Amino acid sequence: MQEPELHDLSDDSDYAASQLQQQQELKSMSRTDSGKKGGDNEPDGAEIVFVKDNVTIHPTQFASERISGRLRLIKHGALLFMTWIPYKEKTDCTAQSSSSNTKLSERDRNLYTIRAVPVTDIRSIRRHTPTFGWQYLIIVLSSGLAFPPLYFYNGGVREFLATLKQHVFLVRSADDANVFLVNDFQDPLQRSLSSLELPRAVSISNSSSTPTLASSAAQNDNSERTDDGSSSISQYGGRHGQKVHDPARDLSIQVLEKFSLVTKFARETTTHLLREIQNDGFLANDTKKQSQPLTNDNHETGLDDAQTVPNEISVTPDPLEFDKLTLVWGQPRQPPLGSEEWATFLDAEGRILDSKSLRKRIFYGGLEHQIRNEVWKFLLGYHEYDSTYAEREYLASVKKADYETLKSQWQSISPAQARRFTKFRERKGLIEKDVVRTDRSASFYDGDDNPNVTLLRNILLTYSFYNFDLGYCQGMSDLLSPILFVMKDESESFWCFVSLMERLGPNFNRDQNGMHSQLFALSKLVELLDSPLHNYFRQNDCLNYFFCFRWVLIQFKREFDYEKMMRLWEVLWTHYLSEHFHLYVCVAILKKHRAKIMGEQMDFDTLLKFINELSGHIDLDVTLRDAEALCVCAGENGAACIPPGTPASLPIETELLYPLQDENDV
Amino acid sequence: MSISRRRTLLKVVILGDSGVGKTSLMNQYVHNKFSQQYKATIGADFVTKEIQMEDRLVTLQIWDTAGQERFQSLGVAFYRGADCCVLVYDVNVLKSFDTLDNWHDEFLKQANPVDPSSFPFILLGNKVDIDGGNSRVVSEKKAKEWCLSRGNIPYFETSAKEAYNVDAAFLCVAKTALANEHDQDIYFQNIPEAVSETEQRGGGCAC
Repeated sequence: MQEPELHDLSDDSDYAASQLQQQQELKSMSRTDSGKKGGDNEPDGAEIVFVKDNVTIHPTQFASERISGRLRLIKHGALLFMTWIPYKEKTDCTAQSSSSNTKLSERDRNLYTIRAVPVTDIRSIRRHTPTFGWQYLIIVLSSGLAFPPLYFYNGGVREFLATLKQHVFLVRSADDANVFLVNDFQDPLQRSLSSLELPRAVSISNSSSTPTLASSAAQNDNSERTDDGSSSISQYGGRHGQKVHDPARDLSIQVLEKFSLVTKFARETTTHLLREIQNDGFLANDTKKQSQPLTNDNHETGLDDAQTVPNEISVTPDPLEFDKLTLVWGQPRQPPLGSEEWATFLDAEGRILDSKSLRKRIFYGGLEHQIRNEVWKFLLGYHEYDSTYAEREYLASVKKADYETLKSQWQSISPAQARRFTKFRERKGLIEKDVVRTDRSASFYDGDDNPNVTLLRNILLTYSFYNFDLGYCQGMSDLLSPILFVMKDESESFWCFVSLMERLGPNFNRDQNGMHSQLFALSKLVELLDSPLHNYFRQNDCLNYFFCFRWVLIQFKREFDYEKMMRLWEVLWTHYLSEHFHLYVCVAILKKHRAKIMGEQMDFDTLLKFINELSGHIDLDVTLRDAEALCVCAGENGAACIPPGTPASLPIETELLYPLQDENDV
Repeated sequence: MSISRRRTLLKVVILGDSGVGKTSLMNQYVHNKFSQQYKATIGADFVTKEIQMEDRLVTLQIWDTAGQERFQSLGVAFYRGADCCVLVYDVNVLKSFDTLDNWHDEFLKQANPVDPSSFPFILLGNKVDIDGGNSRVVSEKKAKEWCLSRGNIPYFETSAKEAYNVDAAFLCVAKTALANEHDQDIYFQNIPEAVSETEQRGGGCAC
């Protein structure tokens, strides 16, 4: 769909040419190609030996955010350089919708641009040939930095490799036919095991399903042609269930590759790049922020230099060890959305025209506090995005009356009636016990006879009548407290809480099925995204993931200070990348500490204690970026780990919402 | 006695209704602190305290769990390997006393100890300080009767707020847990169980 004008059918001729594998033919074709496009202002003495258009990276799972560009190999004297330059904005009409959008993708473009990397800096190239979808390459530098996967929309992978082979020493890895080592003069087997960072298990099992160059030319051709013209939907939606071979195996390779988990070195490089390229205030501000967590990372991992990475590994010989480094995929956090920018999302009558852009904006930056009470209502689903000011005002008055009616249901219970109404008394007692120990250290709730504590009680008690089957459960007061703090209004808080509980209610089900499905999904995600850690948990009887129970039950409420927690919540509530982004947050935190967890051989008890004590020590921005990277990496395979109806998805409607049982519980 | 000069880890699980003071008791014992502002426990947590018992160093690992019955199904992970179970009720709340049977049975069901009939429990009636005892609804007599019916469980009346009887109760917990460990380990069966402190023969620790 991108650059449709460039979707020529050169693909077939590329393959025909590459099959001949004749240097002269290749060169002449390259020249023709570059001549055709024109405008390549290479310095004198530089020769373009390879060019391929529509080579694309996928910064996120969304087709609209893909960045297409031109890949070239340029010979300059004795040296060969690789470049990938994204196309200019004007060809991409989808990103024109809002100014912030454009700005963002422009920054992405700069961030991902590959400027004249000497091929001698490349350590290895991994080729991937999905059954459905485009062929892509992962290029790993000797520094450990890996570029994002380069998807060859127009084919040309083999041509690229063939061209490269004419200029540098390129050898196929002994234990994985899809890995090509560049300038590797050591024993290839040893090198591929020790420094290529490929999981042995994966490469072994993979070899059976990996078609070799010689035998599968037709197949490659076929798959590539099939997908060349297909839309992004087929890539991310339609593929589900079509997979012939084991998707888990495929995925672990993909994850490994897509994670160009990059060190301080890499991030500084990109930061530096950013600073150089774009010097407006917004970005400068951003990079400053960005460099801050680096010192923390540094302290934590003890890494000073990317070069030391392979030697620092102490925990496990598993190649996924580079997990301990920071992911580069997550985009830099933005400043929170303020009231001025917020106003630009609203039309004259108060409708939000582009809710996706809004959610994206909040996902990457959160909200300034003073607009939370307005925007949270949309994020929580209490207000419709396409409602007008007038409609919302009307809704508020109707809902206020509704709330008063609901509230009067328990308020009208006389002491005499209450004496004969055990369930009510117990429920009320439970709520009253909990509200006086909910966020009392926050000034909004502190002190004796604080009226806000009474409001908490009233809302929770009303909710327990509104949803009598679910009733009250510990943790609900934690979820309500920030909402009341933001809304400051009893009825509005109640209805926002109701909206939140539409999604999180199953967390509190008597049979705990909402929690179990999330913890199960979490275990599946860790298996997908960090199989060594998964194996460690399995061996140590930790697969129930109960040590993450508090994280999941109340959405990390107790793990951050109040402001950070609200920031996290609004990011989660955008459901921008996933409705289950909180699970990726879990994975991100676990991965951050995997070296410690595995290195210290934590058992279940120790792990639980360790996780509980992380509270207050989690860097939110870094975690969000890592979680974003993981979510993008996992893609549809991640989504497939999560059973339908798992919170925070809306429950499946046909289910009986709250099975009745357990007489004693209130 | 060199054979016993080893470090022993005893796992103790505190159970009881929401708000009876489990976290407070634990923190009073381990940190000598009381706060009105504890948060309701979500999931589970534990603290450890080292104590000298006779000539051996014992580490008590005290587990605090969420009190709402709805979370009981998590117990299977948290109760495992316990050496002693501390049941807590609030002397001012009848319901918290009535649910003791449930907590007791549920613990045995989920912890699944080798010999359920001899597994050591201890009962604490907490918050005896409130209103000078005028608001209490469960008498000491009633509580002791329940203990007797459950195989003579030691009973203590405590106030986490006033630090009343908390140390004594947990000392009894340690001894009971240790004794239970001895019973399961023939090499330790003959170690004398000298009780040196005198404070509460009447208070309830039978060990």
